[in-house]
Amino acid sequence: MKLIKCLKHAFGMVLHSKVRSWLTILGIVIGVASVVAIMSIGGSMQDTMTEQLGGLGGDILTLTAGFSRGMSMFGMGDGEGPEGGGSTATDEEPVLDRTDVQALRAIPDIEAFDTQISGSVEVSYLGKSGSVRLTGVDQKVWSRVTTSEIGEGRMLDSADQNVIVIGGKLAESYFDKPIGLNQMVTIEENVFRVVGILDDTSTNIYMPIQMAYQMLDDKENGIYDSIVIKVKDEEKLNETIGKIETKLMMIRHVTEKTKDFSISSSKQMQETRSEMMSSMNSFLIAIAAVSLIVGAVGVANSMFTSVLEKTKEIGIMKSIGARNKDILSIFLFNAALIGLVGGFLGVIFGTILSAMLPALMGETSMLRGGTFVSVNSIIIALSVSVIIGIIAGFVPAYQASKLKPVDALRYE
Amino acid sequence: MKENNIILHLDNVWKIYKMGEVDVPALRGVTVEIKKGDFVAIIGASGSGKSTMMNLIGCLDIPSKGNILLKNQDITKISESDLATLRGRTIGFIFQQYNLIPSMTIYANVLLPMEFLEYDDKTASEKTRKILETVGLGKYMHHLPTQLSGGEQQRVSIARSLVTDPEIILADEPTGNLDSVTGKSIMDMFYNLWKKEGKTVIMVTHDLKLAEYAHTTIELKDGQIKTINKK
Ligand SMILES: Nc1ncnc2c1ncn2[C@@H]1O[C@H](COP(=O)(O)OP(=O)(O)O)[C@@H](O)[C@H]1O
Ligand SMILES: [Mg+2]
Repeated sequence: MKLIKCLKHAFGMVLHSKVRSWLTILGIVIGVASVVAIMSIGGSMQDTMTEQLGGLGGDILTLTAGFSRGMSMFGMGDGEGPEGGGSTATDEEPVLDRTDVQALRAIPDIEAFDTQISGSVEVSYLGKSGSVRLTGVDQKVWSRVTTSEIGEGRMLDSADQNVIVIGGKLAESYFDKPIGLNQMVTIEENVFRVVGILDDTSTNIYMPIQMAYQMLDDKENGIYDSIVIKVKDEEKLNETIGKIETKLMMIRHVTEKTKDFSISSSKQMQETRSEMMSSMNSFLIAIAAVSLIVGAVGVANSMFTSVLEKTKEIGIMKSIGARNKDILSIFLFNAALIGLVGGFLGVIFGTILSAMLPALMGETSMLRGGTFVSVNSIIIALSVSVIIGIIAGFVPAYQASKLKPVDALRYE
Repeated sequence: MKENNIILHLDNVWKIYKMGEVDVPALRGVTVEIKKGDFVAIIGASGSGKSTMMNLIGCLDIPSKGNILLKNQDITKISESDLATLRGRTIGFIFQQYNLIPSMTIYANVLLPMEFLEYDDKTASEKTRKILETVGLGKYMHHLPTQLSGGEQQRVSIARSLVTDPEIILADEPTGNLDSVTGKSIMDMFYNLWKKEGKTVIMVTHDLKLAEYAHTTIELKDGQIKTINKK
């Protein structure tokens, strides 16, 4: 029998199938639907994340002093100053100072770097006050190195003195009244003019580093909390990190073991996070896959029953010229069709489910972009369910094909 | 090529069924030659091995011992798929219980053997319509088997067996489930197939009256041939 005819008969079998077959199909539907939903939700979470992290810039490194015991996961360093680790080795806390700056200047792979200090300050505006984070930056390079974008006004300039740039949230909603451009804000009893508002959701304040030394009592002139470095060639990021490390280790008289500074790149962070995300995702998919496997067992079970039910028909077919492989094909097609129908319905339900989930989960920021079922995941879901049908149906179909015609005919 | 007109040759054929530990010998050394164009009736008491012999002749089963030559081919030595095709082309089966596929229409049932033998669609469709007209069931083409009477269903099964134009018609108690009038009309069809179309007809029956239609009568007893009578 030609394969197309086998397919036709298999199709007829599905059409004439009983409630049992439809229950079997339901098993596949549930499995596929959950996989599709999870894939699309996971996918859009990842998209949202990449979007958020993409702004961090792949060519930016952050240098901090301190004994790093492995980089922390979200590890830009807390910026509160060098940690006083390794107290036994040396009494002095490791810091970043002019020597390090000199050393960095000598590295040609660095395009620019921004020396920073930061700490908490008291801010007041129209009689209200609060404590926010202040970062002193090298205003000559800050605008080139930062990944923050200006919303209103301008970035800091080399001639700036008593001016600040503030985060979007601080401007908008931190105080009772929003802070507008050119408004005066009091920081530790000094008055500053707002020249720029960032397009972000932070409450940070940025000002020239020389002013910041005066605002932050515990900071010593010429000592930096961190140095933000922009590399010339993002492609050579790791190489550049290596060069900086070698150079600094030499200057600071430390070895790989006693290293008292650390360099983190936002790109690494981004990678770590998305790795975390995708392993989380695979875990969820694995759970959904279990329900697919249960569905497959259902298909196998239903196929065994179906072969049993159709034993006599198999005998009849063999008596009128059916070869083993014809019977095998018919039953395999039948199983594949069950898988296909299940997969198809599963994709539909999965799509509905994934469209509904963000609403059910509340306005989660992770799903801001909305969910999206990709053509790829549809194709994958359909082929996986067909393959599952075939695998599950193979043994029963094979048994059916091997039935001896006499035995099959005698079956009632 | 001696004895070219021998279409079927059973040579010392044994069939032993295993019932658990017990061996049940259903055929015990049957040797017989059937000529092309003969009308053979296999008779004998119930349990004498008629159906077993029929299944072996029809290549639905293989002997425990001995050889069966169908058109000079030893059926114990050819592959499963060749045997299926040989069976499909050479033999038309008619069973006591009609053995139509209940979920398929009369038309689809008759078409089925040609699908297995990969006839082209047009020929298959034409042949199906023609043969159903011939057996007088053209108007029931799109009915399901259960919507037809026993005699009509048996005519469908005859149509199905004839549609591939086989040389041998094998019928196992074809009138066993039918009343005598309907049974006689079925027997007339067989007689015509033999007389007018030159088919080799082999029929199992326990009804001696029906056996009278046949040219050769083989009587089985306890799995062995007791007598062979020719008219
Ligand atoms: N599949 C089988 N397994 C075991 N014994 C069988 C089987 N088929 C037939 N027999 C036995 O073989 C003998 C011959 O059976 P059968 O060929 O059906 O006889 P008949 O058709 O003449 O009534 C009987 O004793 C029957 O019980
Ligand atoms: Mg019998």
